[in-house]
Amino acid sequence: MKFFKIVFNGLKTENPTFVQLLGMCPTLAVTTSAINGVGMGLATTAVLIGTNMVISALKSIIPDKIRIPAYVVVIATIVTIVGLMMKVYVPELDKALGLFIPLIVVNCIILARAEAFASKNSVIHSMADGLGNGLGFAAALFLIGSIREILGAGSWFGMSLFGEAYQPALIMILPPGAFLLLGSLMAFFNFMGSKKSAKKEAK
Amino acid sequence: MKDILRFGVILFIITAVAAASLGYVNQITKGPIEEQTIIANNEARRKILPLAESFNQLEINVPEKYPIITEAYEGIMNDNLVGYTLKTMPKGYGGIMEVTVGMDIEGNITGVVVGNHNETPGLGAKSKDPEFTNHYRGKRADMDILVIKSGNPKENEVSAISGATVSSRAVTSGVNEAIRYFNENFK
Repeated sequence: MKFFKIVFNGLKTENPTFVQLLGMCPTLAVTTSAINGVGMGLATTAVLIGTNMVISALKSIIPDKIRIPAYVVVIATIVTIVGLMMKVYVPELDKALGLFIPLIVVNCIILARAEAFASKNSVIHSMADGLGNGLGFAAALFLIGSIREILGAGSWFGMSLFGEAYQPALIMILPPGAFLLLGSLMAFFNFMGSKKSAKKEAK
Repeated sequence: MKDILRFGVILFIITAVAAASLGYVNQITKGPIEEQTIIANNEARRKILPLAESFNQLEINVPEKYPIITEAYEGIMNDNLVGYTLKTMPKGYGGIMEVTVGMDIEGNITGVVVGNHNETPGLGAKSKDPEFTNHYRGKRADMDILVIKSGNPKENEVSAISGATVSSRAVTSGVNEAIRYFNENFK
């Protein structure tokens, strides 16, 4: 049961994008379409599960003073392996995401979860944390990518939605639109969250 | 001192295991990745020479004579030679542009594709759009193609992209070089 609690924590309570505000750079850069967002989210999830499990398994061996270089070596190795696998099994996605696959190494989410969770918890629980945070990240990217693609290109997962007559709001595909959307979504989720806690207090 | 030794050994073991796993994964993915690259390149060549289904690389004759031509392939369909693809690297507005030209054995241009480039988005970068590159299709190797800024283009002319004459001229120079190579080597 604790396993699912940890997963849910990464998914909603401490969502990496909207609550922890981690990994903003890839969030803004790859969400130009729904499929790219989902692809990046799932790749990051695979990396997160891997790094969390390995670092948790090694937590008693890695001395505290050299934990950062040790973590970075583990993260870089796993990202490289995931990148090679993607080149073999999903080459179009790999080409679409381009430089951002190797950049998963410096995605703050990975190091943050390694430091905050994996170095202090069991392997199974660390896997749950990696899964939860990864899926939370993927869900956020899916949401942002979908909105940007629908409004900015008139399609969803490549399927044209509105026909020829629709003039897409190009700004949504460009960086300013990404910032505006991200800020709006965060404001929305914060608002919903504060309404919920106001309700709880009123009870 | 003892600490430093311990840290060193642990880091060494971690990096050794990392290096070993990376070496292993690299080995098993090398083949499939190369295959993927070949398939992708073939698909790209088929886009400008649809007549062909496979391609063989050719050595460039006297490469010093053609400084901007970097690759030449012959296109094969059912064991017959059906055309050629030539990759040129002319200098555009923002740097070198990759311009690959497909031609059939008679010298008719079957397609032009612009690859990597550094042209201005919205202006020179529009030279990558099919709306521009399609204009080269059907032009023949017996003509040197000229870029005109206004008016209706004749058979041996293409209209420059508005506001991007340099980029348009660069692409055209790549196509003309491919034509020159064809006339001097493939006819």
